[in-house]
This record gives sequence, structure tokens and C-alpha cells, in this order.
Amino acid sequence: MTRRISKYKRFTMMNPIIQFFKFIYLSIKVLIVVAGGHGGTRSA
Amino acid sequence: MSKIVVLGAGIAGHVAASHLRRKLSKEHEVVVVSPNGNYQWIPSNIWVGIGRMKPKDILFPLAPLYAKKHIDYKQAKAVSFHPEGDSEEIKPYIMAEYVAGNEKGTQEKVTYDYLINATGPKLNFEATEGLSPGKNKAHSVCTYTHAQEAWIALEGLIKQMKEGKKVKILIGTGHAKSTCQGAAFEYILNVEQELRRHKVRDMAEITWISNEYHLGDFGMDGMLMSYGSNIMKSNEMVEMIFEDRGIKWILEAGVNKVEDGVAHYETLDGEYKKESYDFAMLIPSFSGHGFKAYDKTGDDITDKLFRGFMIVDADYTPKPYEEWSVQDWPETYQNPSYSNIFAPGIAFAPPHSISKPRKSKNGTDITPAPPRTGMPSGITAKLVADNIIEMIKHSNQELHHKGSMGNMGAACIASAGFGMTTGSGVSITTYPIVPDYNKYPDTHGRKLGKTFGTIGLAGHWLKLALHYAFIYKAKMKPFWWLIPE
Ligand SMILES: Cc1cc2nc3c(=O)[nH]c(=O)nc-3n(C[C@H](O)[C@H](O)[C@H](O)COP(=O)(O)OP(=O)(O)OC[C@H]3O[C@@H](n4cnc5c(N)ncnc54)[C@H](O)[C@@H]3O)c2cc1C
Repeated sequence: MTRRISKYKRFTMMNPIIQFFKFIYLSIKVLIVVAGGHGGTRSA
Repeated sequence: MSKIVVLGAGIAGHVAASHLRRKLSKEHEVVVVSPNGNYQWIPSNIWVGIGRMKPKDILFPLAPLYAKKHIDYKQAKAVSFHPEGDSEEIKPYIMAEYVAGNEKGTQEKVTYDYLINATGPKLNFEATEGLSPGKNKAHSVCTYTHAQEAWIALEGLIKQMKEGKKVKILIGTGHAKSTCQGAAFEYILNVEQELRRHKVRDMAEITWISNEYHLGDFGMDGMLMSYGSNIMKSNEMVEMIFEDRGIKWILEAGVNKVEDGVAHYETLDGEYKKESYDFAMLIPSFSGHGFKAYDKTGDDITDKLFRGFMIVDADYTPKPYEEWSVQDWPETYQNPSYSNIFAPGIAFAPPHSISKPRKSKNGTDITPAPPRTGMPSGITAKLVADNIIEMIKHSNQELHHKGSMGNMGAACIASAGFGMTTGSGVSITTYPIVPDYNKYPDTHGRKLGKTFGTIGLAGHWLKLALHYAFIYKAKMKPFWWLIPE
């Protein structure tokens, strides 16, 4: 095992409070990608 | 009055049937033909495979829901296609064979005005000698029964590890042309975390085996993505995760034979190697179902409808990788020979792979097949339903709803471990799914802001939230249609 994720990074990755805000941010970001729509590529 | 027949009740078939039923008046018939009496939310099979969910948590029976929603349901499998009818039946039909109940084994001509083939993939275990779920200590998580069996075997192994046995675990792809690396990636991380939870992690050597050229290829030619304030390649991200979790990897491997506890594989260098294991989960190759099609005189017209999977409006002209373009990918999923037949989800034949094709020195194609994940499966099914609705309502032959995978984003929330406070997820969004190297030449064919990755507990919560949201949607509970595909 090689430590590739620093202690600080791991703390932010697993801290429920930080991650709660990350969850809101992620949900919105995912929604933007989905709601960004889709279409054809040929006539564009 | 029109009759729309939907083959398959997976993500694509169920999305199409539910939207058709919601938007079309009752004078139009919506018929679903599917052999599995249950709807299953396949992405959560990963958690069944580590014992953190039961099959009942990820499935529900289709018949009561369809009866309530006025969708005609036949628990049957399609066996052949007759898009011109035959000498006795003037309407197009598919031949269906019932798989349950009193009618089991009997065949019926199911006529249609419009046909949606959403039969997904055949899990082609036979393509790899000795690969069969539960045989030779190798397992699958592709269905909830496979995942349940995988967990029983893994649980037994954990017991042995607690008694002091050192073991080898091998997870990845079980064929040179397998797809769905994402599912295997989720499973290896979940297994690793479960071993830690059971305090036996140090008793196991865990190895990833894959037909990918780079880690993090995922059958999508890899990704260049924003990661925090950095720009990272998906192979760097996966390498970081694997090293951090102590997972070894074998790449460029086309598994061709599985024996009791041994996987044989060929590498791109043309070498034949083997890897031993005590527990393996290997994703098989996916293929079409081998359907036959006939014209009204009974002549075989299979090659008008199928090239493995169903032929749609893609450009199938063979050409070198350098000449591939997003324009090759289909937009409407309509069969060019029969305009009333469509194939969304995994059922359509892709024009080629997304990842750069590579052959071993012996000429074996070792290239991931292109994935069609849940989101594109749902989106393509909905746009097919919308086009059929327009065709019915406005007698319109022009298709307005389009969705090429070269102009569509996808979110892949890969579970990296289960637990409300200890879980983790690798959240990746990508736009477009098929890289457009002309439009985004400097960012590996994708738009950076919309192609990003992040790791952490929030990813697990999101994956869990999606599990509940999509099962709610599939059950067609109030306002289900507000939840996007
Ligand atoms: C373990 C695993 C994890 C995954 N995780 C994710 C994830 O996290 N996110 C994501 O986006 N995607 C994920 N995927 C991919 C996702 O499950 C697929 O993209 C999706 O299921 C494809 O939908 P589909 O409707 O085309 O095919 P399927 O879901 O396979 O549905 C096919 C349907 O056709 C039916 N059928 C089969 N044969 C016949 C026949 N002869 N006649 C009639 N009906 C037939 C089947 O019973 C089934 O109902 C995962 C896949 C696997 C295997």
C-alpha cells in the first residue's frame, strides 16, 4: 500500500459536514450535466 | 389507435413504456414483453455482491405495476422478428415465447405498429472458456442472482481469512472485448472496503485485471477531467486510488479461459499468462441475443435488422480509428430498413468502440467494447418514446428528438465503499460520452467543466440517493416523471 491521499485530503473526503455541502454541490453539478440536454451531431 | 410493443423491461424498456403510457391516451396500447418478472435496479447489484443489500432491496415485481398503469405485460421472451408479417398475418409481429405461468413454452405472434427493442445485452459467458457464474470460483454481479451468489462465496472466504487463510482476489474483465469496466471498478473498491471492515484486509492480495490499455479507460478512451483545481487524467486518478488501497493491476489482458482458481489471459505483447485466485469476479463480454428476422415470404433478413445488436441510424462503414467521428454515432435509434423499429439502451449496435482499438501480436482484438450506461440508456429510450408519440399524434415521419452519445453527458457515480459515515464514491461526469476530438481538441475530446471527478463520502450518499430516486421513479409513484433519466 502506498499512501497517495494525504491525511488532510482524507479528512476532507470523509468529514460529514464538508461532505454535506459537497453533496449539494455534486447534486447540482450532476443535474446541470443532465439538464444540459442532448441532441444530434450531424446537422449541427 | 396504435399498438406499441416494447421488448425488455430493463432501464431502457421500462423508461420507454412508462413515458409512452403517461403521454398517450388509453386508446393506444402499450405492451411490454420481458422474461424477467422483476424490475431490477442493476447499479445496486454491487451492494448485493458485498452483502450490504438484499436482492429484495433492488427489485420489484412488474406485473402488479403494469396492471395498475394499464400497460399490457407478457412474461415472455422475443424469439424472432417478422417486420413485414407473414403469409397469414398482415401486420408486423414478433414471435414471443412465454417463460412462466400456464402458458410457459407456448409461442404467440405479438403484432405491433411500433416496436422498441430494448433487450439490452446477452451476458455472453460462453465466449470465455470455463467462465460461468459460480463456477471455477469465478463470479459475476451482472444480475441480482449472480451478485447474491458472489456474496455467499465472498462471505465464506472472509470466514476462512478470519481463521488465518491468506487469499488472492481477482476482479475485472473476463474477455478481451468486455465492457462495463466501471461496474468491476466499483466492485473491487467495495470488496476492498468490506475486507477492511471485517479486519481481514491484510490477509488478501487484491488484483485488478482488465482489457484496458490504461487504468481508467472505462471503454471511453479515458478522460481528461477537472479534479479540484487540477486537471487530471482518469488513469492518474484510478492509479492514485488503487495505490492508496493497495490494489495491484494487470492491464492489456484478454482473459480467454478460466479454470478452477486460474484465469488464463493473452497480453497485447502476444504473451500467454495466467493468474491464480481464490475468488474472482469477471465481467463477461456482452453480445446480441442472436435473434433471427424474416420477411413476409419467410426469407431470412436477419442482416437487415442485426449485426450482433440491432442496426440503427449509425454509420457502420468500416474505417480506421483516425477517421472515426462522433457523427458515426446514432441520433434517433431507428432501424434504417423499418422505420417503425427502434433500439435504445444497450440493444443498438454501436458503430465501433470508443477506446482506440488494439490487437495483440497474435491478432487478438483486446479492446474494451463501448459502454452504454444507465443514463444514456434512459435518455435514448425517452427520446425514442417521444418520437413515436409524435409519429402517432401528428402522423409525422420526421424525427425531432435526437440524442447522440457524441452530444450527451453522463454522470457515473461509482461506489467505492458502503456506509453512511465510512462509505465513499468516485463521482465522474463526462460530456460528451463519445469524445469529440474536433470540437474539444485540447481536452481529449471533452468539455472540461462538464467532465470532472471527485472522491469522497458525498459520492456514496449521492449513489444511495440515486438508488432510492430511481426505484421511486421506476415504480411510477406520484410525479415520477419529474426525476430526469
Ligand atoms: C453490475 C453493474 C453495475 C452497473 N452500474 C451502473 C451505474 O452505476 N451507473 C450506470 O449508469 N450504469 C450502470 N450499469 C449499466 C446499466 O445497468 C446498463 O446501462 C443498463 O442496465 C442498460 O439498460 P438496458 O435497458 O439497455 O438493458 P438491461 O437493463 O440489461 O435490460 C434488458 C431487458 O431486456 C430483457 N430481455 C432479455 N432478453 C429478452 C428477450 N429475448 N425478449 C424480451 N426481453 C428480453 C431483460 O430481461 C431486461 O429486462 C451497471 C451494469 C452492471 C452490470
